[in-house]
Amino acid sequence: MASHDSDRRNTLAKLVIGGMSLIGAGLAGLIGAVATPRAEGKTVRWKRAASIFDLPPNVPYAAVLADRHADGWYETRKETVIYLDREGDGYRALSATCSHLGCRVSWDDSTKHFHCPCHGGVYDRDGKVIAGPPPAPLTRVAVRVNKDTSDLEVEL
Amino acid sequence: VKRVAGAFADWLDNRTGFRWLRHHALDEPLPAGTGWWFTLGSILLFGLSVQVLTGIALALYYAPTPDHAWDSVRFITTSVRGGAFLRGLHHWGASVVVVAAVIHLIRVVAFGSYQKPREVNWIVDLLLLLVILGFGLTGYLLPWDQRAYWATVVAINISKLTPGGGEFVATLLRGGADIGALTLTRWYALHVLVLPAVLVTLVVAHLYLMRRHGISGPVTPKAGPSQLFFPHQAARDLTMAVVVGVLMAVLAWKGAPALEPPADPTASDYVPRPEWYFLGLFQLLKYFPGRWEIVGAMVIPGVVMAFLALLPWLDRGRTREARRRLAVLMPFTGGLVLIVTLTVLGARDSAPANVARWNVRELAGASLIQTSERCVRCHRPDGLARPIEAGRIAQPAAWLAAHVDDPEVIAAGIRPAPVGTGTAQAESKAILAALSRLRSGPPPVVDADTTKAHVLVARFCLNCHIIDGVGGKDGPELSHVGVRLSAALMEQRILDPTSVKPDAEMPSFADKITAEDIRAIAGWLAQRK
Repeated sequence: MASHDSDRRNTLAKLVIGGMSLIGAGLAGLIGAVATPRAEGKTVRWKRAASIFDLPPNVPYAAVLADRHADGWYETRKETVIYLDREGDGYRALSATCSHLGCRVSWDDSTKHFHCPCHGGVYDRDGKVIAGPPPAPLTRVAVRVNKDTSDLEVEL
Repeated sequence: VKRVAGAFADWLDNRTGFRWLRHHALDEPLPAGTGWWFTLGSILLFGLSVQVLTGIALALYYAPTPDHAWDSVRFITTSVRGGAFLRGLHHWGASVVVVAAVIHLIRVVAFGSYQKPREVNWIVDLLLLLVILGFGLTGYLLPWDQRAYWATVVAINISKLTPGGGEFVATLLRGGADIGALTLTRWYALHVLVLPAVLVTLVVAHLYLMRRHGISGPVTPKAGPSQLFFPHQAARDLTMAVVVGVLMAVLAWKGAPALEPPADPTASDYVPRPEWYFLGLFQLLKYFPGRWEIVGAMVIPGVVMAFLALLPWLDRGRTREARRRLAVLMPFTGGLVLIVTLTVLGARDSAPANVARWNVRELAGASLIQTSERCVRCHRPDGLARPIEAGRIAQPAAWLAAHVDDPEVIAAGIRPAPVGTGTAQAESKAILAALSRLRSGPPPVVDADTTKAHVLVARFCLNCHIIDGVGGKDGPELSHVGVRLSAALMEQRILDPTSVKPDAEMPSFADKITAEDIRAIAGWLAQRK
């Protein structure tokens, strides 16, 4: 009789622990699902960056591109900085985001280099790393000339 | 009355047993010789309590959205009674808590208090340190100013180095693909809900374990009767709390450091620097280029934490005396010296102050913002829009450009801006230059005559001439024209260029500018040396 009782107790204990675990797992799953952001489909399009006549002869030109951007419940503009430059007969577009930790690099005309203000990354005019911690060159952005308008367009 | 109170207390004790709790909490016997070194935990608890209370007070006013975070923090500092002091207390309180936690940790290591049987409490101690740093990290995104934004960019990019799924961790921290509104709400929830819950749990666990094993006491046990916590040690704790409280109040008296301009993802002239207690890590990151980055960002901090966590098992000797534990204390001290050195190096590499002077176009724009009809019609104290202030310009550049050209525009590009005269366009350029510059601070104070000259130069000269690096390239640069030409000669050239130089391409300005204004321009240019 006693062993029958303790069997019942053991079974019941397992049921209670199992039930509580299920509830806990359910709640954890719910919070986990809510806390994990939805993946956003990335749309790539060509955006006008500047007119070819905007480019100064000997300095990379910082073009600020504004794009419609959903920021949570806001409909905002996302501004991206792209450095446009001549390269041979064509053009070159470099992202101004440092490949190290994402700070904004800027062109220093006295040294003819791009400098990152955060951890001292230095890139040359092609975006190659010259000094500091960046693990990769500045990202090259696809660029094309619109023959009709003489505009430079980049792929964002 | 006393009898009634006594009867009530008896009744309450019968129903709740509070006297046992009071006895248990206060009459803890402490080893003889327990002294001031053992007030550090209480100091930490006091600091954390101040953070909780000031945090609640700040939450009464703070709004965690990109539109309102900066403004609500500004509102707290300028309009809430005692608000500047409150924010100061919370800001400096964070530093005090970090310092108290580190000193407490050093004391535990120095006294060997982590040794058996207190290993678990030592782990809890380390977790508490991480939670405290987590508070610091999530806390300084909340004002949503430049420092907040860029510190978060760097922190989230570091998280991408997490082995196996760094991008996923970064997405979780951002709440999406980019840093924005969802990052702010997320970090706010972490700062005010998640971390406090973890903190309270860890503090309770820490106190429970401390009582379970009793405090470790002096390194060499002293003879003598044990001492009750209350009131002897409690008096020491209170004394230290008062000292630290006064220190916090003094630090907070002038408030927290001023807000920086609102977060601006496109700002290129901003030099981000983290809070001082992350400067060591900041400096460390510089030494590991390319694919070695993970060493500075994850491996070294991980090894340091692992070393600390394993201390109770590395140091299993039977003694707590420092000179017999050198094998452990030497590397610990070495690491400490290294962290302090890195922090000092990081602090010395402070942001180069933005030394570039305001150029004439920016100066002219700053004046036009205060005077020109198109701005002050609405932007004045009793006007439709609030006055334009330094450090307060948060609109994107494209919107500003459209708005300055056509003040009624509310959506950039929705209709073509009215075609202005050349002068109006020159003024637009100046106003935009000044607005951009005003993000980071107010313009220098200049007397009225000079300001007038700035506006005239920006209006008429910069279309063709470069001064201080801005302007058109059709004419010669005038940055140092005062070296070559006198005021009288320049006045003559502006009135009638061909009378001085027969083949001059410059048009005459005699019918465009009054003689008095031309004299002002020439006078100003003559001082350019």
